[in-house]
Amino acid sequence: MFFIPGQVIALLTFPGVIIHEAAHLFFCKLFRLKVYNVCFFRFGNPAGYVIHENSENFTAQFFVSMGPFVANTLLCVVFCTAAFLPVWELQVNDPVAYFFYWLGLSIGMHAFPSKTDLSHLWKAAPALAKKGNLLAIISLPLSGILVVLNYGRVIWADLGYGILVGVLGPIAIFRVLARV
Amino acid sequence: MDQVACADCSRKLSSSEAYELNRKIYCGPCVQAAAQRAKDSGQLATITRYVDKSICARCNTYIGDSGGVEMGPVRLCGPCSTLVEDWPYPQWLKLSLAAFLVLLVFALIHGRKYFEAGKSLYRGEQLIEKGQYQQAVAYLKETLKVAPNSDKGALLAAKAALLSGDLLTASQALEGHEGGKFEKSDKPEFREVDDLWSRANRAMEQLEQAAKLDEQDGNEIEAAKLVHGVAALYPQLPHMDVLVDRYDEGVAFVKKDYDTFISLAEKDWHIMPVAATASALASALACKYAVTGDTAYRQRSEEMLAKARELAQGDKETLARLDEFGERNRYRLESRQIITKNEYDRRFRSANSATH
Repeated sequence: MFFIPGQVIALLTFPGVIIHEAAHLFFCKLFRLKVYNVCFFRFGNPAGYVIHENSENFTAQFFVSMGPFVANTLLCVVFCTAAFLPVWELQVNDPVAYFFYWLGLSIGMHAFPSKTDLSHLWKAAPALAKKGNLLAIISLPLSGILVVLNYGRVIWADLGYGILVGVLGPIAIFRVLARV
Repeated sequence: MDQVACADCSRKLSSSEAYELNRKIYCGPCVQAAAQRAKDSGQLATITRYVDKSICARCNTYIGDSGGVEMGPVRLCGPCSTLVEDWPYPQWLKLSLAAFLVLLVFALIHGRKYFEAGKSLYRGEQLIEKGQYQQAVAYLKETLKVAPNSDKGALLAAKAALLSGDLLTASQALEGHEGGKFEKSDKPEFREVDDLWSRANRAMEQLEQAAKLDEQDGNEIEAAKLVHGVAALYPQLPHMDVLVDRYDEGVAFVKKDYDTFISLAEKDWHIMPVAATASALASALACKYAVTGDTAYRQRSEEMLAKARELAQGDKETLARLDEFGERNRYRLESRQIITKNEYDRRFRSANSATH
């Protein structure tokens, strides 16, 4: 396993950082949470952040924490789908396609919510899950998996996730389209 | 405003070093003792960092003790409180989002040909899985127009073509892929196509050999054996059953088994009603007439030859072959003598003629 400083990775994949923070901000605004500060990208750790008030509303907590995961994953699939065929299946040397693949993977790599975001959900979810809150029920295993994957970043789990989504997503889409 | 006094020891200290407990300010050493006292007397003992509410928590602007807006544990100045309540999206982010959408539209337009090619690729793959090879070839040809160097596309097209007996398309698909080079030649997909291609080529060589043998009298049985071998080796070759029958008819001819000759020719004429099968049936019926003298066979032989000519209209090469065969067939009907083409050539045509 080779080591590349996080700042270099963040620089190479900066669109993903920006999308991640923009998604946080979007959901904060959607749920009318106070936002104290926003950094869309910087050379530091973390590469971006949104400081917002804590909410007692679990739905708001869920979407603010998981929003970037969903948004980055979807955009990764969209851009990788635009590039998947020429890059992987058709093996056409098209620079535009490679650009889209870089964009898609960069976005997909930054899908994981931070450990802080997940810890809020992890603490609040069990009590609500017992009361039958669907989001809390979903967020329990999801947070668990994402916490593990977050630790897996040292072994490139984030890149692995980006590649997985950027390859399997388009394959699934095209398989369905081919049947239409 | 930067200096505060400890509620216990009255020591002056910087506000950044101060703590707050039950609305009182303490220095570091006193706050623990104060917390213990609060706990003992049943009060809350939560220690927090002291926040100087006379300055804005965001921009450090002095707002005094009553200015600004209180938001939870902090106080903000007017502009900052507006910002915090409804943080705006930066202009550059909005422009980037617009650029993103433009990029997405561009990606869709630019990638349209790839979408079509990819769709054909997956459709072709699915048709291969269903065993519909000929239909798959049509789709995969479309893919190769856009991406001739696609490993998957070329191998699937070659596979589908080979399994439908279309060697020309298979060859074009493989040759079109970087001159027939495949980097990952250890992949099962490649090995499968390589095996099919080798079998098809061996079959073609054997067919050529059989055709050469068939040109000479006395080799009909050996030629038929070879063609039966071809049918086992590469059964996907189009009209293989008719081809096998065609050589078996040759064997029946040399064995003077004209009933079998007629039966095979009749079968092939029904399977594939073209000039070649019509003339083969005409030949078989002429043989039967020659040995039986039954004019019904003669009449039908002549009818089949006329049918063959009718089917060959516009095809000069086939018409020329039928003219040549018609002359021999007439001789067979008139003389009731059954001789091979080579024998006929030797007796009645130029001595240099080598084909029949």
